[in-house]
Amino acid sequence: MNFSLTDDQELLRDSARHLLEHQCPPALLRAHTDDLTAADDLWHLLDDFVPLGIGPLVDLCVFMEALGSVAAPVPFFSTACLYAPVLEAIGEHDLDSVLDGHATGTVAVAGADGVWHPNAESRKTFVPDAARVDLVAAVNADGAVTLLAAPPVRRIETLDTTRPLYDVETAVPGTSAGVISRAALDDVLLRATVALAAEMVGTARRLFDMTLAYAKERIQFDVPIGSFQAVQHKLADMSLDVERAWSAVYYAAMAVDAGDPDRTRAMHVAKAAAGEAARRAAKDGIQIHGGIGFTMEHDLHLFLRRALASEALLGTTGDHHDRLAELLF
Amino acid sequence: MHLDWGPDVVAFRAELVAFLDEHAPPQTRTRRDFATSDSDQIIPGWAKEWQATLFDHGWMIPGYPPELGGRNATPVQTLVYLEEMAARGIPRSLHFPGYAIVAPSLLEYGTPEQRAMAPAAIRGDTVWCIGMSEPNAGSDLAGLQTRAVQDGDRFIVNGQKVWTSYAMVAQRCCLYVRTDPDAPKHKGISLLILDMDTPGIDIRPLTHINGNADFAEVFLTDVEVPVANLVGALNDGWRMTQGSLAHERAGLWVEGVARLEQTITGLVDLAHRRGVAHDPIVRRRIAEGYQRAASLRALGYKGFTSFAQGAAAPEHSYMKLASSELGKELYELGMEIQGAYGPVIDEERGEEAGRWPLSFFVSFANTIAGGTSEIQRNIIAQRVLGLPRA
Repeated sequence: MNFSLTDDQELLRDSARHLLEHQCPPALLRAHTDDLTAADDLWHLLDDFVPLGIGPLVDLCVFMEALGSVAAPVPFFSTACLYAPVLEAIGEHDLDSVLDGHATGTVAVAGADGVWHPNAESRKTFVPDAARVDLVAAVNADGAVTLLAAPPVRRIETLDTTRPLYDVETAVPGTSAGVISRAALDDVLLRATVALAAEMVGTARRLFDMTLAYAKERIQFDVPIGSFQAVQHKLADMSLDVERAWSAVYYAAMAVDAGDPDRTRAMHVAKAAAGEAARRAAKDGIQIHGGIGFTMEHDLHLFLRRALASEALLGTTGDHHDRLAELLF
Repeated sequence: MHLDWGPDVVAFRAELVAFLDEHAPPQTRTRRDFATSDSDQIIPGWAKEWQATLFDHGWMIPGYPPELGGRNATPVQTLVYLEEMAARGIPRSLHFPGYAIVAPSLLEYGTPEQRAMAPAAIRGDTVWCIGMSEPNAGSDLAGLQTRAVQDGDRFIVNGQKVWTSYAMVAQRCCLYVRTDPDAPKHKGISLLILDMDTPGIDIRPLTHINGNADFAEVFLTDVEVPVANLVGALNDGWRMTQGSLAHERAGLWVEGVARLEQTITGLVDLAHRRGVAHDPIVRRRIAEGYQRAASLRALGYKGFTSFAQGAAAPEHSYMKLASSELGKELYELGMEIQGAYGPVIDEERGEEAGRWPLSFFVSFANTIAGGTSEIQRNIIAQRVLGLPRA
């Protein structure tokens, strides 16, 4: 077993970090809140990375973690982690234009209950980026995939604006693209869930890093607040959760890449651990920042919002625990 | 990044399993909590024989050479060894101080005569205790007050030790004493080897809240220790308090995580027997426990693999903190599932002869001994995260 990144993976991580650090500052997240096209230039710098969506999951996670740490407001998760693998699974030839960065897309599965389970409902919910991608792949109860160009959508207002979610009306004319088997759809969602967990670890670590830095520089009672044991112990627990979640995510990614029989459990563990880490980083991050963290002016809330929204996407922490229970009992 | 350990590990694992199948005595296969023996004897005969058998076959400390009870195993092989022993719940020894703490310190810091004591400590032929904690030096270990005053070729020792495991049965003690009361507290401590039959030693067993009495208070009154029994240099004892099997340190978490996993399996069975296997709250809480144990296992592997490549592994404090705290929660859940029967330890009416409430008691010790959870959080905050001391 080996948790070290290969030289290529390190290069991927470093170049992604370097690019995002410069091209995706908090100011861009703020601009994107009011104007969804504000991140279009960023997306054109990132669309080269779309092929990661159908490659080794560890590599995809490395990139997703970097995106999560800046809460990148781009349709990468929808296009690379959902849409491209669905096209690949059904043998759709348009995959090439997605992989070379010319086309974007997303996938619509969940019905009114918000659970990503094939169903007969025509109105799909919680579809990421539906208004800004070229095509929506709607999956019906039998796995039939229909590609829809500009279907009627309605934005679901959530805490987070960096990854907009939509209701999509799918009972409209579209192109039948084939049928995805239940096993193939499960595989796509398993990979996407681990990739999302990786992204959440990136966001949780960003929240933690901001909080740790603040605890070292904020002076009260003539000393840094990070010298107080009550603050130190919160930070220790936050870092434990982030480290635990990071390890669970890459363990799951390696298990998927190896076809290990434990991969489904490992996926549930990864998403739930990332959910716990993100939730704790959000709550204790604000608490340690004190009043300044509760202002719009401070950047903390941008990441807090993304963390809480991701925690609810593709199954909440509680949902994944419940599905683990089905495997344990 | 990859999951497999490689082919040499497969062969190593097979050889170990064959050895265990052939030699491990039935008492080692009961999967009970060996951290606290409830036998009449603190170290029963079978446990002594088993430890000697492991030593003689090079399976006591695989990373050591054969003359020290090992087989020069690699770090990965050592982890596999710890993993297989933990998965089967097989203990190496029922008295950890000699092989885990004393022998490595003697080998690193001792004179030739002192180093020669190591094999017997590892084989279990000599039982050792460690005189470290005192009534006023618990988490603040460096505050210890037991005094040793040099008088010619001997030290005269006076003081009191507490929480001294195995003091009643030990032949020797690694005793931490203050030799320079005027130096800063970390700089006036020395390490002495004390023969437990020396006059002036009074041992009083200390009974735990779970009824076990394998700890003791040790009172030392004008006890004479030859200067030749000083380990390392005078006043240089503090760094030897950190002594442990350095090469095994990155894998020690395995046993704790394996125990958590066995506890979770036990909770699932318990929920079925108590008719709450369909209770959504019970199911979710057990699954949370599983998730935390599984993510800790992943964190342990991550720390181990960076250690095996020569990097520092701060994961030890994370693992100690998280697994001891989770253990406490799981046993508590086991009691809760039983409702009114939670605290019943009655052999006939209690579940598994009181396994859950009694293990709950034992789990209190795990968040205290070896550095409390609060100390672990301090270590993480200050040494890993670089936060300033108060």
